[in-house]
Amino acid sequence: MNISTGLLEFLASRTKRTWEPDEDLFASGVVSSLFALELVVHLEKAYGVEVEGEYLSLENFRTVNAMEKMVLELQAATP
Amino acid sequence: MTDALGAARALLTDRIGDLGDEWDRAGAVPVALLRELGAAGVLCAQLSAEDGGLGLSSVENGELTAHLGTLCGSTRSVATSHGMAAWTITRIGSRKQRAAFLPRFTSGELAAVAFSERGAGSDLSAMDTRIRRDGDDVVVSGEKVWITVAAYADLIVVFGNYDNGSGDGAAAVVVPTDTPGVEIERVPDPMGCRAAGHATVRFTDVRLPADHLLGAAGASLSLLVSSALAYGRLSIAWGCVGILRGCRQEAAAHARSRTQFGKPLAEHQLVAEHLAELYVAEQVATRVSEHAARCWDDGSPDQVTAVVLAKHVAATQAAAGAARAVQVLGSAGARDGHPVARAYRDAKLMEIIEGSSEICRVLLAGAA
Ligand SMILES: Cc1cc2nc3c(=O)[nH]c(=O)nc-3n(C[C@H](O)[C@H](O)[C@H](O)COP(=O)(O)OP(=O)(O)OC[C@H]3O[C@@H](n4cnc5c(N)ncnc54)[C@H](O)[C@@H]3O)c2cc1C
Repeated sequence: MNISTGLLEFLASRTKRTWEPDEDLFASGVVSSLFALELVVHLEKAYGVEVEGEYLSLENFRTVNAMEKMVLELQAATP
Repeated sequence: MTDALGAARALLTDRIGDLGDEWDRAGAVPVALLRELGAAGVLCAQLSAEDGGLGLSSVENGELTAHLGTLCGSTRSVATSHGMAAWTITRIGSRKQRAAFLPRFTSGELAAVAFSERGAGSDLSAMDTRIRRDGDDVVVSGEKVWITVAAYADLIVVFGNYDNGSGDGAAAVVVPTDTPGVEIERVPDPMGCRAAGHATVRFTDVRLPADHLLGAAGASLSLLVSSALAYGRLSIAWGCVGILRGCRQEAAAHARSRTQFGKPLAEHQLVAEHLAELYVAEQVATRVSEHAARCWDDGSPDQVTAVVLAKHVAATQAAAGAARAVQVLGSAGARDGHPVARAYRDAKLMEIIEGSSEICRVLLAGAA
């Protein structure tokens, strides 16, 4: 399963609604800042990356597309 | 119990024993002892072996923290802050920063974490502390209040607004306390955890090499802070389990040994109810803390809410439970120097720090 499909499924299971890949998660009010941390933990476990330092910006978690882009970048950078 | 946990527990029992009350009245834990415990790895026992730590799981570290919480709330507070500082560097630092700083955490140095300011307690978005880049340096200016361990610390992880001239963001900096411009002043007479070395810390244009900067350049304050606090909150929850364990033991022993109206206190139903409720409080606090620690060990995203729940439930139970224990002991527990009196003062503070009970409920409402 590609990253964005996996993330859309994860979001649907946690928030009980469906999302578009470019939909702003935080603008909806459904997603809290604590939920952003849940996303960090999920991405690390599901995709074997470490989200650290300046990657901990809310912009990287704002949409499914942004998360996918970050995960691909982190995977490419992992030795 | 693993060997590492067993040995860590035994070391704490041996070195602390019943000295917690003496340290509480003196307002200080001997620094040499804190350094010895730090060097043995027991103040941040979850730090991985790769980073020089004991590598305990979250569940094991929880059990160790509960044991420490029964022995001495001040030393437990030191461990919570020291462990949270190590966790913050693990969580938001780069690989290079981990390799540079983490070995210091098990070499006998002590560390604190600084978020709070006079104008920014529950609302950390009101922080005034500025962290700015200046060439190859980073410069920190601001004042932090009520910083646990600061009076003993070699390192302080300081959170602030990152000011690089282009937009918002937050950062944390690892500040050695012997850097020029750092001033530390003890908080006089705290109500509880009196020997935990709380202090006000002023940073006047404190200049450090830029590799001391964690996060930065657009990092979100709420993500940085909630990442760091996750460790601290779970550690406090386990500390509260320890408080309740101690209170239940003291109350039960007293109620079974003291006779009034011709029978032991424990046989009077209203006193027995206090014992039952203390048992319930300890069990509830233990189970919520275990659940959060298991989620942590499994890498489950459920850990985020589970940790807030554990902190809130355990702190509320500990404050109410310690008050019950004082009630059961009557005048015997009504003086400084008695473990339940100390537990009563320490437990109340657990409802205030690292996300007060109100703030935890606001967060839990968001998860509802
Ligand atoms: C013993 C001790 C140790 C500490 N150690 C550290 C440390 O190591 N590092 C550090 O950075 N800080 C530390 N602190 C500071 C601590 O984190 C703050 O005290 C805490 O965050 C609360 O902030 P405040 O005291 O300014 O209270 P305030 O934020 O002024 O809150 C006062 C009351 O109002 C309530 N309140 C505030 N906002 C809301 C809201 N939105 N909704 C409902 N109720 C609200 C609070 O729950 C509280 O009951 C410590 C404090 C103590 C007492």
